[in-house]
Amino acid sequence: MNGELYDVTIVGGGPIGLFASFYGGMRQLKVKIIESLPQLGGQLAALYPEKYIYDVAGFPKVKAQDLVDHLKEQALYFKPAVVLGETVQEFERLDDGTFRLMTDKNIHYTKTILITAGIGSFQPRKLNLENAAVYEEKNLHYFVQNVNRFQGKKVCILGGGDSAVDWALTLESVASHVTLVHRRNKFRAHEASVEQLKNSRVEILTPYTITGLSGGEEIEAVTLEHTETKETINVELDELIVNYGFVSSLGPLKKWGLNLHKNSIVTNASMETNIEGIYAAGDIVHYEGKVKLIVTGFGDAATAISSIKAYVDPDARKQPQHSTSIFEKLTV
Amino acid sequence: MAHVITSPCRNEKAAECTEVCPVDAIQPGDDQYYINPDRCIDCAACVPVCPVNAIFFDEDVPEEERDYIKKNELFFAV
Ligand SMILES: Cc1cc2nc3c(=O)[nH]c(=O)nc-3n(C[C@H](O)[C@H](O)[C@H](O)COP(=O)(O)OP(=O)(O)OC[C@H]3O[C@@H](n4cnc5c(N)ncnc54)[C@H](O)[C@@H]3O)c2cc1C
Ligand code: SF4
Repeated sequence: MNGELYDVTIVGGGPIGLFASFYGGMRQLKVKIIESLPQLGGQLAALYPEKYIYDVAGFPKVKAQDLVDHLKEQALYFKPAVVLGETVQEFERLDDGTFRLMTDKNIHYTKTILITAGIGSFQPRKLNLENAAVYEEKNLHYFVQNVNRFQGKKVCILGGGDSAVDWALTLESVASHVTLVHRRNKFRAHEASVEQLKNSRVEILTPYTITGLSGGEEIEAVTLEHTETKETINVELDELIVNYGFVSSLGPLKKWGLNLHKNSIVTNASMETNIEGIYAAGDIVHYEGKVKLIVTGFGDAATAISSIKAYVDPDARKQPQHSTSIFEKLTV
Repeated sequence: MAHVITSPCRNEKAAECTEVCPVDAIQPGDDQYYINPDRCIDCAACVPVCPVNAIFFDEDVPEEERDYIKKNELFFAV
């Protein structure tokens, strides 16, 4: 699918990119969406999946992860191409006016680009140890994709937030032994989960920091240092999971020659940037009066897609027909 | 607008906030930590983890701590 030309490629699979993907499908555009994380949902899924949101129109109260699930269902209705785990780096305009988009892994072709990169591409906060990187493709995990991998294994988890605690509790019944290591005595996770943790078989080591990894092809043990007494201990393991949360950065997008206002991309009221064929929507955007909220981002997305439709197909109407009148006639 | 670290952080420097900030906006200074106002997205994740309640949204910084708004800004000014 990489060589294929798309009408619009959406950079960023947060809530706004997801809604734009749906709206693009409804306007009969050929849509691709690229997200740097292995999961969709942006800040909602990465930073606060368990929190309730109260200001999304039509939802008096909705859990962030539930909103993401609804957005995904809607976004995938028109079967867009979904590319996960790739970070968009650079673009190049070809002679025919279309774009070549380079990610860290592939090349994609598109007539227009819609940037919904929010606060930047999320990456897991990594272990700050020299030899850590070489184990990333081996038994060092920043994401848990497949629980079966941990069946009957000795698993060590680092971190003190909800994901570390939740994974410890999930893997307790799968792994042969789970050790959870945190730099402080107090966990930042939900009280109920921490309570459950105390009553579980998970071995809790606090307050310890990791100071070394040892092993050959794979990590065999970690060295931990007690933050107060400075005493060190070794913990043997088969699999190491690091849940230090996510960090985001705009990185390469800043060098695209887009007009920027602080860390935001300046657009006009049609969501056009200063580069023809490149549009932006959501948290990443700045225009007079912009407020950074989920609902305003949804509005940006519908406007951007309508502008893109008119650009790709100059005969198309900019004011969309209402979904109530056209939806059932559309073909997927 | 941004979040601001105020006087209780001085010589406390617990650094809990640096572990939760999703945009790495919090940097160590000599005597305390500072928040880069150009990076902070006002997500408030740092507020509840601070053991000495030193972090406020700038409009909510207590009267006697308002100097710290400038102090945070100046720390990142080049
Ligand atoms: C704790 C917290 C609470 C919040 N509460 C509310 C609330 O109650 N109500 C409300 O309206 N808003 C709230 N917000 C703000 C809301 O989450 C954002 O407005 C919303 O997430 C913006 O969506 P977005 O799609 O524009 O960007 P994001 O959610 O930031 O998603 C952007 C996505 O793009 C990806 N990406 C970025 N660059 C690249 C690249 N180069 N290549 C590939 N992928 C890339 C990122 O990995 C990310 O997944 C809250 C935010 C936080 C942190
Ligand atoms: S409010 Fe959020 S973005 Fe700002 S410093 Fe605190 S954790 Fe970082």
